[in-house]
Amino acid sequence: MPTINPMAWRLQISGTFLVIGLLIEAICLLSAKPIAFVLLVAIGGLFLFAGVTVYLFSIVSTPRS
Amino acid sequence: MPSGTTLIVILVLFSAALIGVLVARPGVTATRGGKILAFLVLFFLPILCGAMGISSEMERSKTTAFCLSCHTMEAYGKSLYVDDPSHIPAAHFQNHRVPAEEACYTCHTDYAMFGTLKVKLDGLRHVYIYYLGTPPAPENIKLYEPYNNRECLHCHLGARSFEEGATHTADPATLPAIKSNQLSCLSSGCHDVVHDISHLKDAKFWKEKN
Repeated sequence: MPTINPMAWRLQISGTFLVIGLLIEAICLLSAKPIAFVLLVAIGGLFLFAGVTVYLFSIVSTPRS
Repeated sequence: MPSGTTLIVILVLFSAALIGVLVARPGVTATRGGKILAFLVLFFLPILCGAMGISSEMERSKTTAFCLSCHTMEAYGKSLYVDDPSHIPAAHFQNHRVPAEEACYTCHTDYAMFGTLKVKLDGLRHVYIYYLGTPPAPENIKLYEPYNNRECLHCHLGARSFEEGATHTADPATLPAIKSNQLSCLSSGCHDVVHDISHLKDAKFWKEKN
């Protein structure tokens, strides 16, 4: 069974959060309804924040090889 | 959809695609160039897209179409087309005394410090009530506070029609009272016909020529 590089694993988690956040943002931008504004800021913003945080955590927590 | 929003959507999708490549092949970040790419794609681009998206939505939330997209506001939107110059919102909207595409926001924002933030928080409350609560009937909607003259004076202060208007200058105490918000612009007998939605069915409407 191949071992998973922790850095790569965290980048994948970060990327997944970011893709979800960006897709939510894209969908919300296509709609002019007030609920889209709330979803973009609350849900999309949360995923983007989580993705960037996981990425930053991954680069400061992984020891230099 | 405005062209600016289209560009943001394209940037967002492009960023998502780049991130997708990194998620599928995280090995590319092993090199120095890959690390720089990861920084751009996983940090810089999402923050840029998020900021641009929120900024775009903030601007869109000021538009008349945005406010009138809720069913509860339909009657208020209709009242902007009443063919009667004594109807203050209609006269302002039809004569472009306020930007027609931002008519609601221009009069109902708060021109004090943090006013935009305050009205956006009020807007979030409206969304909550609209989707999760029981929205009041359109005729029962009231302002949170009595309409402040500050919002009128934001444009009218210093204007000749306001400062030298016969009614405003007939009594020397009138103008100072208006300016200090002691006498409301919407007082009875003054500019008191605002969104008179309970009488909309009897009103005559202006048809905008395209």
